[in-house]
Formats: sequence, structure tokens, C-alpha cells
Amino acid sequence: MILEKKSIELACIIDDDNIYVNLIKKIIETKALCENLVVFNDGKQSIDYFEALLQNLDQKRIPDIIFLDLNMPVMDGWQFLERFTKIKNKFGKVITLYIVSSSIYPEDINRAKSLETVEDYLIKPVIISDLAKLFGKAI
Amino acid sequence: MLNHMSDIKKNPYIDVIDNLDVGYWKLEKDASYWSTAFIENLGYAINEVDVELDFFINTLLEEKYRNLFRDNFFSLVENSIDFSQQIRILHKSGEYKEYICKTNDSLPLDIKVNSNFIFFIEKKHKTHEKVRRSNFYYGETAEMTRTGSWYVDFLKQKSYWDHESKRILEYPEDYLPSLSESHKYYAPEHHQLAAKLFMDCAMGTPFRTEIKMITSKNREFWVSAIGKPVYNEAKEIVGIRGIFQDIDEQKQREITLQRTSDIIGSQNSRLFSFAHIVSHNLRSHTSNLELIVRLIDSSETQEEKLELIDSIKDISGSLNSTIEHLNEIVTIQTQTNHRKEEVNFLRTLNQVKKSINRIITTSNVKINVDFSQAESIQYVPAYLDSVLLNLLTNAIKYKHEDRDPIINIKTYIVDKKVFLEFQDNGVGIDMDKFGNKVFGMYKTFHYNSDAVGIGLFLVKNQIQSLNGDITVESEVNVGTTFKIQF
Repeated sequence: MILEKKSIELACIIDDDNIYVNLIKKIIETKALCENLVVFNDGKQSIDYFEALLQNLDQKRIPDIIFLDLNMPVMDGWQFLERFTKIKNKFGKVITLYIVSSSIYPEDINRAKSLETVEDYLIKPVIISDLAKLFGKAI
Repeated sequence: MLNHMSDIKKNPYIDVIDNLDVGYWKLEKDASYWSTAFIENLGYAINEVDVELDFFINTLLEEKYRNLFRDNFFSLVENSIDFSQQIRILHKSGEYKEYICKTNDSLPLDIKVNSNFIFFIEKKHKTHEKVRRSNFYYGETAEMTRTGSWYVDFLKQKSYWDHESKRILEYPEDYLPSLSESHKYYAPEHHQLAAKLFMDCAMGTPFRTEIKMITSKNREFWVSAIGKPVYNEAKEIVGIRGIFQDIDEQKQREITLQRTSDIIGSQNSRLFSFAHIVSHNLRSHTSNLELIVRLIDSSETQEEKLELIDSIKDISGSLNSTIEHLNEIVTIQTQTNHRKEEVNFLRTLNQVKKSINRIITTSNVKINVDFSQAESIQYVPAYLDSVLLNLLTNAIKYKHEDRDPIINIKTYIVDKKVFLEFQDNGVGIDMDKFGNKVFGMYKTFHYNSDAVGIGLFLVKNQIQSLNGDITVESEVNVGTTFKIQF
């Protein structure tokens, strides 16, 4: 089954920390984890993107995987999750969502893991080999 | 005529009675004998009285008892019918003394004698003493515990206070308490409470509460009050009886204690949120640092490594600014002991306006000011500076793009506390979404590039460190109003 897993074409990062975003970009590039990457600096920009996508389902623009930060300005990760959960089944594609946060508070971790939309909770800093595994690649 | 004493004394029971100091009459067929104790108890010398029934009834006995006593007397003498009657007899001093007359049968002693006796047991003297003694204890207790008692008579539409009530409430001894204006004995903020307790009690619910009363000299003080409905025999409520105890000293101590505990509580919660902020904000930098180190380790070329080392500079820069922000907060926590001074609102505002003069003129800001209700306040000058500066720059930064900013600032006083209201006509904040985050650290709700999310957090901390509070109301596209209680 694992061998049949499709390689990831488009990944999405939602995070306001530009330093972190640049580092992840660098990892994805150098390890060639996926073809394309789309980055948003807060939940509002990204939910606007997803809601607009519903009007015109361009499969190439629908990410296979999302890395979502929790603490962001304007619209935080929780608010994004609320809106995203309502529409995630309308894309005709499985979108796997991971929370990537520097928060180590048990309340945050438990709350995230209790949500069906959330595949897993990753604590920053991410371990490079773990990240590669999420893309279905071993390094 | 009174020489009968030797006869009677032959009976040993009479000895006992004599020793008990109870006066009596001995009734023979055609004469009556009065005991010495009877005469002397009334304060007379033996030669001052006529031992005659008529003399007794007409001179010594109080008028209203005369007929009944005469009837009883003859029933006893003629038909040997025992009786027990309450009477009042004139004492030598001119006052009437209260006695109970009892005949042989009603005595505790079984005196087997052939003659009829009437014993005169003095009543009033002993009860009087008892009442006086218990009155004394009651008075002492009331005074020592500062407890007043009162009674409201619904039938007579009157209220009664005891001596201590008048003393506590600082009214003269001859003061007649008012029933229709009884609310005036309570502090204005407790008028409603007092009225409700009274109404409920009149309906049958007793009360026990702490309430603020007010003396005739307008001194407010706390009492612990208890009230109970008073029922008549038909189980109808005919009044309310109650007591109140002056507990002002205890209450003031309790209030001080509560205040201290509130301060400690708010300091503790600030400390807690500070710890939260520290761990969260520092963690995001250290995790980036750690990620870079891992990346450097796994990089293959020298070039790549150098590039990564470059981004360490970025992290160092943002770590530094975070530390600076945290430092500002720590300064607030430790500056609470800073000297408060009389700070003038208008003067402070003018200084702030001067310091950001350029932004004010370029963005066409109009500021309306009304500090007439409260012109100045005892405050830490730097904090008022910071509060006005942050609110003003925020209002300009988040002005509505369709109109020039108008800012209304006014002060007022409620409950002896100074308030400042700061109102703008800017873009507003979506309170449903961000209401609980307005004063959070690094929380920004707009896309302005210079939004840092530290200003309001600092302002709230500064205000709270001086036991005040700040709240916000806002409507998107209409404007935002901040209310500060100093």
C-alpha cells in the first residue's frame, strides 16, 4: 500500500514566521521533497485562497499537504481550522493537514489532536528526516 | 389589739412563715389580726395603722382592687372559699406595692390550723429586681457588642429602637424613628437591598445579611443585620423584630484583605501570562536556531553552510527585539512602586502630540478633548504618557481609509474613580473574532506592515499594575472606544 502512495506535488505552508518559512523552503528544495510550494502568512490569506479554489477546482492548485501554524496575526490557526473543516471535503482530493507550532502547551496539543481534520501535531523545530517521511521520502 | 402574736407563735408552722418575712392576716370570727411583718413591709409603724378591714380597703388598698377583695374576703370568712388575688397596697412612701394574696390552701406548706389566713406575698419587688438585673446584662451585652435592636409594629405603623440603636446611629435618646423614611438609615447603594429584605420579611422570610447603614451624621458603616417576622396568635405577621451589630471594623479589615488578595491575584495572573509569553516567544526563536543548526549539519557544500549562517543573523535580530519587549514588561512589573504624581491630562496629551507631531499633521487628525470632569490624576507620569501615546498612534495607524481620523478624548468620575474614554472613527476591530485578543502580546488584526502587537499589551499591563483596568468596544468600519478606569 505504501508503495502506491502518490508523491506529493503541491505543499502548503501557513505561517507568519518568515525565518521558519525560508528554512522549510530550503529543506524542501535541497531534499527535493515536492515540486511546488505555496506559502501564506496567516489564516485569512490561506482560507481566502481555498474558498476561491472551490469556484474553480484546479487540481494542480489544490495542495496535497498543509503545514499550519497556530499563532498568527489576523486569523490564527484555530480559526482557519474551523473554516477549513467546513469545506475540506469539497475538493475531491485528500488534503493531509499537520499543525506545526512552537507551542508545547498540553491544552494546544490535546485540542489539536482531538480534531478530525488534523493528522498530527508537530512541535517546532521539525526534525528534517521526520519532515521527509511526511512527504513519503526517506533520506 | 395586736397582742395576738404570742398566740399564733405557738404553731410551729407560723414560725416558719414568720421567718420567711411574709406578712399575713389571721382571721377569727369577729376580729382579724395583722402580722408585724405585714405592717412593717408596708413601711408603717404599728401605731400608724388601724387593724380594721374598712381602713385597709378604703385607705391602703388601691381603688380598683377594692370590690373584688371585699368579696373574696367575705367568701373566705363566711364560706371558707379560698382565693388568690393580685392587689396593690399603699406603701408609706406613697407608692403602691404589688402583692399576691393567697389563702391557706394555695400555700406550698400544708398548714393545719383552724383559723383562716391571708398571706400577702410581695410580688413586684422581686420581679423588679430580676428585670433590672437582666436589663443590666442585656444593656451591657448590647453596648459591648455594639448591637442595637428594633421593632416595627405594622398595626400601629410605628417603629421602635432601643437605646443602643440610637447610640450606634448617632440619634438623640428622645429620637422617634421614622417608618416611612426608614430607607434613610441605609447607605444609598443599599436602599434597594434594605427594601427587599424588609418586604420579604413582611411576607415571612427572615433575613440575615451584611449591609451598610448611615448615621445621623452621615457616617457610613457596615452592620450585620438579622430580622424576623413577628406573628400574633392568629399566625398573622404583625411586625418585624430585628437586631443589627456594628461590624465596621471587621468589615473594613475584610475589604482591605479582599483588595490585597485581588492585587496578588492580578499580579499572579500577570506573572503567569508573562511566563507563558516568555516561553512561547523565546521558543519560536530557539526552535528556528535549532533548525538552522540541523540544516548546517546536513548541508553538503561550504556555500550552503555560509548562507545558513547568514540567516542566524536574522534570528539573532528578532530574538533581540523579543527580549527588549519582555524587558519592557518586566520593567512594568517592578515599577509599580514608582512615585505617583499629580499628572495633568491635557499637558500630558500635548506632550504626546508634540512627540508625534509629524504623523498627526500628515494624516489630518482632529482631536476633541474634554477633561473638565477630571483635569488631573495621581498617577505614574510615564504610564499616562505611554497610554495616551499608544492609543493615539493606534487610532491614527488604523484610521479608516475613507475619512480623516476624528478622536474624542474625555475624562469623567464614577464612584470616586477617574475614567478616561478614548474614541476614534477608524476601521474598528471585529470584536466577535478578536475581542479576547485585543490586549494580547503580538496580536495584530490588520495587515499594516508596522503592526507589532505590543502597544496595547504594554498599556494594559501598565494600567493593571496600578490596579486599574482597560476595556474596549468596537464596530468594524465605525470605530473603536477604549475605556480606562484608573
